Amino acid sequence: MAEEKKAEEKQMPEIPKGEPSIKTDVIDPISLMQYDACTRCGECDNWCPTLDAMERDMNISPRDKISRWRSFMGKNYGLLAKLFGPKEIPEEDIQNFNDHLFHCTTCGVCGTVCPAGLNTIEMWEATRQQLVLRGNGPYGKQSLFPKLIGEMHNPYMKEQKDRLLWVPDDVEIADNADIAYFTGCTAGFNMQVLAVSTARVLNKLEVPFTMLGEDEWCCGSALIRTGQPHIGDTPRQAAIHNVEALEAKGVKKVLFACAGCFRAATIDWPHLMGREPNFEVVHLADFLAEQIEHGKIKWENSLENKTITYHDPCHLGRHVGVFEGPRKVIKSMPGAKFVELERNRDLQRCCGAGGGVKAGIPDLALGVASGRIKDAMDVKADILSSACPFCRRNLGDGRNSVLGLETGDFNVRDSEENDMQVEDLIVLTAELMGLSTKTKSQTEE
Amino acid sequence: MSEPFSYYSGIPTFEMMLGIALVAVLIFLIGMILNMKKWGGGSVKAFLSAFIKSATKEGHQSILTSVVLDILLQRRIIRRSPFRWVMHMLIFVGWGGMLVLSLIFALFEILHKIGIGSFDLNVVRSGFDTPNEVLGYLLLIGIIIAIIRRVALSEVSKRTQVFDWVLVLGILFITVTGFMAEGYRPDAVSAWTFLGADEALAQTLALFHVAISLLFCIAYIPFSKYMHMIAAPLTIIANGGGE
Ligand code: SF4
Ligand code: SF4
Ligand code: SF4
Repeated sequence: MAEEKKAEEKQMPEIPKGEPSIKTDVIDPISLMQYDACTRCGECDNWCPTLDAMERDMNISPRDKISRWRSFMGKNYGLLAKLFGPKEIPEEDIQNFNDHLFHCTTCGVCGTVCPAGLNTIEMWEATRQQLVLRGNGPYGKQSLFPKLIGEMHNPYMKEQKDRLLWVPDDVEIADNADIAYFTGCTAGFNMQVLAVSTARVLNKLEVPFTMLGEDEWCCGSALIRTGQPHIGDTPRQAAIHNVEALEAKGVKKVLFACAGCFRAATIDWPHLMGREPNFEVVHLADFLAEQIEHGKIKWENSLENKTITYHDPCHLGRHVGVFEGPRKVIKSMPGAKFVELERNRDLQRCCGAGGGVKAGIPDLALGVASGRIKDAMDVKADILSSACPFCRRNLGDGRNSVLGLETGDFNVRDSEENDMQVEDLIVLTAELMGLSTKTKSQTEE
Repeated sequence: MSEPFSYYSGIPTFEMMLGIALVAVLIFLIGMILNMKKWGGGSVKAFLSAFIKSATKEGHQSILTSVVLDILLQRRIIRRSPFRWVMHMLIFVGWGGMLVLSLIFALFEILHKIGIGSFDLNVVRSGFDTPNEVLGYLLLIGIIIAIIRRVALSEVSKRTQVFDWVLVLGILFITVTGFMAEGYRPDAVSAWTFLGADEALAQTLALFHVAISLLFCIAYIPFSKYMHMIAAPLTIIANGGGE
């Protein structure tokens, strides 16, 4: 394993004799039951993207991880433990289990294909949290998330006051409107081509929109996915802050172009806050599909018969169920020859960036992305599109790795010489509507 | 002897069978309580309330739909592999069907014992013969497929552990002892009559068959990795089922 951490390098908790080696207090009862529900059929192993990328190192197979945690539970809380006291679990075993558990993008395909219907995402996240509390997790640079997101409200070490630096002069943002655009940290700071494309498309469609600007906090997704939601209570605070700020603006609908933020706003925020927000949460792809249905989008350019395929971001598709909107947008693009990837919709293969893997285990993220690029090559795609800045970034890295290209500046539109263009739906939409996708810094140059 | 072959659900003394069944169910219940305690962080109540909350969550399909389509018809498996679905259904229908028939027959025996209803238990029993035989063969075919799959498919055999073998061979053993107990009966109509009639052996085997069925298939489950037989359907209900 690339960054194998040895048990002794970590600050291990002192377990008094006779005490269980592991606790289960932050794992919900249903997740604990699910560890006993696995039939060990192995279907999940046939689909796990990280297992494929790691040459089927069975230590990271979902089935194996379930068996190991179940056996830990048996040793500490089973019948024999009740009769004779809990059996000590070697520290090394727990640390190894932790490390293998973090070699997972929380893509959730294991749960989708599971005949027993296990909600693996909840199992993985809760167990990660238990291991973080124990001192074993998280993995690698993921441990920087709580400080960065807790203190700076974004994971990229940027100042809050710079949240709107990306906004070019030609873009009009309303102080108040029925619709808000939640930019997210990745599009706002690193993948600004998505943010400018979104803003220009909305302007062109004459859809007035507002933004939170300096008041926008990181959605907290990275902390939840990596089992660190408890540290500083940051995701809950972020949920409350963002929802209240958006409600204070009186918006009726909030648009998200990032799959990770969208998942957080749809599932995690209501869960953390214990209530639904007073506004509708919509992914931009669905919003665009609706605009197309109403005949609002006027295409000015064509894809000139290029073959285009679509990668379903797992946080948008499998986690929330948005599958058709993005397809409707692509299919309506002039000159688009749309083909499906072999693994699509709820059975898609993850890009490899999620679950903290891009930050914690970049080699693994690249390996998974390369697999996805090969999927796109198999269908002879000229363009691999997606609907998430994070997917775009990682698939772009994967494309460069497979084709042996330099890792590029992903704010710059993919160069024409690339055999396969990796591009977000909103950037393609802006281009085909005849709009500039140049970021502010590119315009100034 | 007024009733020439005086055993019904297969055992000479009904009381003995009832005793074993009660012990098995008691052990099963203790095991379930221990498991629910484990899942509920030390509290059965905490587990049950989390389960009920999850199962009745808004947006979930009805529990009845989950039970029929996802648990009984196992549609999640058919979507992945029709072949595996056939194997599962053979085992499930065979095993579950015989369990239901045994429970119904036990009910007849109890009614007969306490003197409710006037029916000839031997007649009732012979009515159960054919369905039992058919279900037994379904189970047997399912198990044979499972064994061949474990041996022949390399990706399945690679990940097979000892306890997987204990499960399939255990069920095979129980099935075969059931057929044998039936075959030795002097009034048997089964294909296993080639074993020859031997009432004493039939009675002993029947008792043995029922005892290990109850102990292995009921009492042992909550204490073993076979707990998935209970936890998987509960999971499907808790998660709202669906494809
Ligand atoms: S969530 Fe995805 S990456 Fe993680 S174990 Fe399941 S299939 Fe593998
Ligand atoms: S698919 Fe489900 S039941 Fe099968 S091994 Fe994986 S988690 Fe267990
Ligand atoms: S970046 Fe995209 S595909 Fe990758 S984990 Fe996130 S949503 Fe899934």
